[in-house]
Amino acid sequence: MSTLASEYSNEVTHDVIEHRFNPYSDNGGTILGIAGEDFAVLAGDTRHTTGYSINSRYEPKVFNIGDDLLLTANGFQADGTALIKNFKNQLIQYHFNNDNKKMSIESSARLIQHLLYGKRFFPYYVHTILAGLDSEGKGSIYSFDPVGSYEREQCRAGGAAASLIMPFLDNQVNFKNQLDPETGNKKQLKYLKLEEVVELVRDAFSSATERHIHVGDGLEILIVTKEGVRTEYYPLKRD
Amino acid sequence: MDIILGIRVKDSVIVATSKAFTRGISILKDNDDKTRTLNQFNLLAFTGDSGDTTQFAEYIQANIQLFSMRENTEMDSKSIASYIRQQLASSLRSRKPYQVQIMLGGLNKGIEPFLTIIDYLGTRTDLPYCAHGYAAFYTMSLLDHHYKENMSLEDGLRILKLCHEELDKRMPVDFKGLNVKVIDKDGVRDVEF
Amino acid sequence: MVGKDCVAIACDLRLGSQSLGVSNNFEKVFQYGHVFMGLTGLASDVLTVHENFRMKTNLYKMREEREIEPESMANLVSTSLYEKRFGPWFVGPIVAGINSKSGKPFVCAFDFIGCIDYAKDFVVSGTAADQLYGMCEGLYEPNLEPEDLFETISQALLNAADRDALSGWGAVVYVITKDKVTKRYLKSRQD
Repeated sequence: MSTLASEYSNEVTHDVIEHRFNPYSDNGGTILGIAGEDFAVLAGDTRHTTGYSINSRYEPKVFNIGDDLLLTANGFQADGTALIKNFKNQLIQYHFNNDNKKMSIESSARLIQHLLYGKRFFPYYVHTILAGLDSEGKGSIYSFDPVGSYEREQCRAGGAAASLIMPFLDNQVNFKNQLDPETGNKKQLKYLKLEEVVELVRDAFSSATERHIHVGDGLEILIVTKEGVRTEYYPLKRD
Repeated sequence: MDIILGIRVKDSVIVATSKAFTRGISILKDNDDKTRTLNQFNLLAFTGDSGDTTQFAEYIQANIQLFSMRENTEMDSKSIASYIRQQLASSLRSRKPYQVQIMLGGLNKGIEPFLTIIDYLGTRTDLPYCAHGYAAFYTMSLLDHHYKENMSLEDGLRILKLCHEELDKRMPVDFKGLNVKVIDKDGVRDVEF
Repeated sequence: MVGKDCVAIACDLRLGSQSLGVSNNFEKVFQYGHVFMGLTGLASDVLTVHENFRMKTNLYKMREEREIEPESMANLVSTSLYEKRFGPWFVGPIVAGINSKSGKPFVCAFDFIGCIDYAKDFVVSGTAADQLYGMCEGLYEPNLEPEDLFETISQALLNAADRDALSGWGAVVYVITKDKVTKRYLKSRQD
């Protein structure tokens, strides 16, 4: 609104200014989950950004949500936090209604699908990964798109540097494009040991840190085994 | 939705083009020939913006003939392909680029069968078989499946028949059949199809 | 990619028009004397730029009575691209080679208007650049012997291309040492 002084009067004109609220933003970061034979790891960097600014160098985004399950939702952090909080509440209800029964990873995955699809037309802007052990005690990773379509996988990278890490995982975890030098056939799939997986995760993240500005500062790896959940932290480059 | 198909076989090249001449929603002609013979062993097939196509094809045709008159030698297929590509690539950065897709079939130096496609951007690829436009979506899988290196002309025409049947079945508008030409050691000739 | 007294340069073989694969033998790496250049981007410009540099390097050879060196090639590419600053060629070139005088391996990349990116280790270009950065950063180590460099660059290219819908359909790898060039065609996924 502006006031124009003229010879005769003060004319008041109304300029219509359009405002548009953008409900989403991108907080960068990247996540990675790998399943082993009797363990699963879920890792994420700890940098939190908006645009070119670093808001925090230590903002964890992988969570132990109870029942030996790990959950992360990478993308727009507010939505990620909301989703995980939502899931935790549902889990409390589940325990209350089912005599404190542990929720299986299969059921957790289906529940997350419903939480995500429930907001089909105003989605949580996140790539979600769930890790844990399945009913047979085997390591298990579930990954979700923003509206709840999901799949069980051996490994999955998500977030800002997913495109950098995913082909590396295909190659090093599922031995894609690798041949057995003896026979010339496809290299036999085998489960990796926990130490090997941790090394792989660290390599993947230091590579991603090198080339992606939204990835860095720190790497937090959560490991779930039949003994429970354990956390490891490794520093990453801060530039 | 013009159709242009080409198959390179042993000692010859098959070029097929649709007979329908379409403008807007109407088919104006059912015996259109979308090819120009450049010299004894080279045939140019084209589709695109209707004004540009014939203008460009005949310009190429004239220049190739002019070359042979001046130099007293026939231009071979590879040279013609390079020339056409160069013309299209420079046209692309002019005020109004030619909107034409080209397929050139011929016998290189009168011996070696040669087939190439060039789009309006000047993207050229020499291929054993190829198609322009929507026809590619319907026919490439058939050709991938049935094509063999050094197959006979008869087998080539048999695959073309399969392609024709598929196009007849799937194309949303009638393209009035195919004009089929073969380039071999005796030059360019029409084939009953 | 740079190794111990060797370099390697590789490309996929796909030519496509959007979703349709048109050709599976469209090579994007070209040789000019002992210097190699890879070109990604608009296929028409890939061909035109290649033809242009074939002419320029031939003229260079006639004037200088020697083949062009990789360092000079890099500057030639840069100035040639910048010449077209306001009507550019839509290409992402990379140059690789070994300096025939000093024996020093050399790689560099360019943006489409000629800004040079010199690198000690590796450069990438094309639709699968992100995937290639991830692969190379993960697999690369300095001072690889030619055979190990071949394995590294091949795995980097193959796995990166498999995660990009627009890349693949076969691959070519050149391994260049001071007195030998090996060209190998790789089998890869056909989807």
